[in-house]
Amino acid sequence: MKGKVEIHTFVQELLTNSGDDEPLADGDSLLLSGRLQSIDAVEIVIFLEESFGIDFAQIGFDREDIDSIDLIFSLAQTAGSAHS
Amino acid sequence: MESQTISPKPLRVQLAEFRLIPRIETYPWAVSFAQTAWGKLVVLAVFGLELRCFHTDIAALLLLLLFIGTITFLPEYRRFVLAATPFALVVTQNISNPIRLSLNLAVIALGIILYWCVMKWPKSRFGRRPVAFLLTGFSALILLACAAAPSSWPYSILWNLVGLMASYIWFIAYALTDRNSQPRRDLTLELASFRPLWGSTNTPFPKGAAYLRRIEAQNPEQLAIVQLKGLKLLAWAVLLALFQVFWNQFFHSYLQIPLPDDALAMSVRGTPVAWHLRWESQILYYFELVLFVSIFGHKIIACCRVAGFNALRNTYRPLSSTTLMEFFNRFYYYFKELLVDLFFFPAFLRYWKKHRRVRMVFATFAAVVFGNSFFHFTRDWQFIQSDGLWKSMVSYEPSIVYNVVLATGLSISQLRKRGPRTAGFVRGRLLPSAGVCIFYTILLVFSSASRIFSVMDTLRYFASLFFIHF
Repeated sequence: MKGKVEIHTFVQELLTNSGDDEPLADGDSLLLSGRLQSIDAVEIVIFLEESFGIDFAQIGFDREDIDSIDLIFSLAQTAGSAHS
Repeated sequence: MESQTISPKPLRVQLAEFRLIPRIETYPWAVSFAQTAWGKLVVLAVFGLELRCFHTDIAALLLLLLFIGTITFLPEYRRFVLAATPFALVVTQNISNPIRLSLNLAVIALGIILYWCVMKWPKSRFGRRPVAFLLTGFSALILLACAAAPSSWPYSILWNLVGLMASYIWFIAYALTDRNSQPRRDLTLELASFRPLWGSTNTPFPKGAAYLRRIEAQNPEQLAIVQLKGLKLLAWAVLLALFQVFWNQFFHSYLQIPLPDDALAMSVRGTPVAWHLRWESQILYYFELVLFVSIFGHKIIACCRVAGFNALRNTYRPLSSTTLMEFFNRFYYYFKELLVDLFFFPAFLRYWKKHRRVRMVFATFAAVVFGNSFFHFTRDWQFIQSDGLWKSMVSYEPSIVYNVVLATGLSISQLRKRGPRTAGFVRGRLLPSAGVCIFYTILLVFSSASRIFSVMDTLRYFASLFFIHF
């Protein structure tokens, strides 16, 4: 299973593509703070589906659940353990 | 010992850091002062003065100040005040019309019952697709109203109900989507978010109760900061409103450049204005629309901030957008969020999961063509009532063209491989921003809200901008 480092790298890349070079901590708000846009939320969803086998149509989707690296990691762990 | 000298900041950095309205929320003394009783009074007084520029009804302004004042001095009662005020306003505004008052309260009650049902039975068909059920029910109500005989009492009741539902439906939809958010079963903010105290269009500002819970000020310092940000934003809205007055005077009164609807009407009548005036009218309309949306959005979000919620701005530097997708994110954030939350993601998470590009395009069309059309077609329900269902659908055709072209543009914008931004001001910023501006300026030909021009009239006018006549 991919870990927090991979998630951090992925999110950092999204931020860089958005022209955001500010420091990124694992607890920082990404979507609600406006640092990332809806299109980035789509990228995160695809990343989680492909890397962790999460099916959001089944578990329900709330953008708050992917608002920080910590939350994404927590979601990946919870959904990943339910998946396996 | 070597002495260190601080080199002055480059001019580019100084210009980027320049603020017409100082960032008072970053001044420790201002934040401390705003937490004192005198500070709160000053905040309220400045807020009232700024808001006076927009309100002609002094009684309504004072009532709003009373509610905001209560929230400011007694923040522990914020949720109660916010939940009670929409009811109080509905009652006071409709006290002379008992039927309308009853229908209004019935619509609010329906929203609460649906919210309760979705929480009670989250795994039921309704619980899994509440927004789809809501919109289907609303469509059925419109069909029923269309079928009622004019001048009968069911006709009057049903169309009143359609009008009220049209103004509440997206607020109820957001409440129903709150089933996934935490903490659940907190009804006060759900009620507060049904036509909230700070105002709204048919688009909920700023989204629903789940979002309000996340952005609510949690202590006196946060409240002071968010209130100062609110004052700043309202001051900016006042400046923009003044600028708008001068803009209209200069371009439309002094230079006599026609409004797009007038230019289109003259073309339809066979007396078109000069080619350059048609273009000038379209280009001005793009900037006027950005200005209009900025002013009303800033005003609503500023009031929301002064009430203690740190909402993002509705419009944020739209002219700096380098992609179409970015433009819609920056131009009318909360409407874009509505389309994304209620149409894009439900379609994206359910269909075409194995075909990434098809999935993206399908979800974009679901949001922009279906969602956007449904929103505006039902928002303008008076056309359905006066013209009938079929004629109102025909008069909506130019908007369908607008939505299809927009969805195509947004799909392409999203499918293009994203990478680090191109360096350099001209290639990285200016040209892409100009491209977005040109695309949207041309697209706006199809966005007339008056619904008096047919799709062929609009297409002819559009073609005439490029010297094509048919």
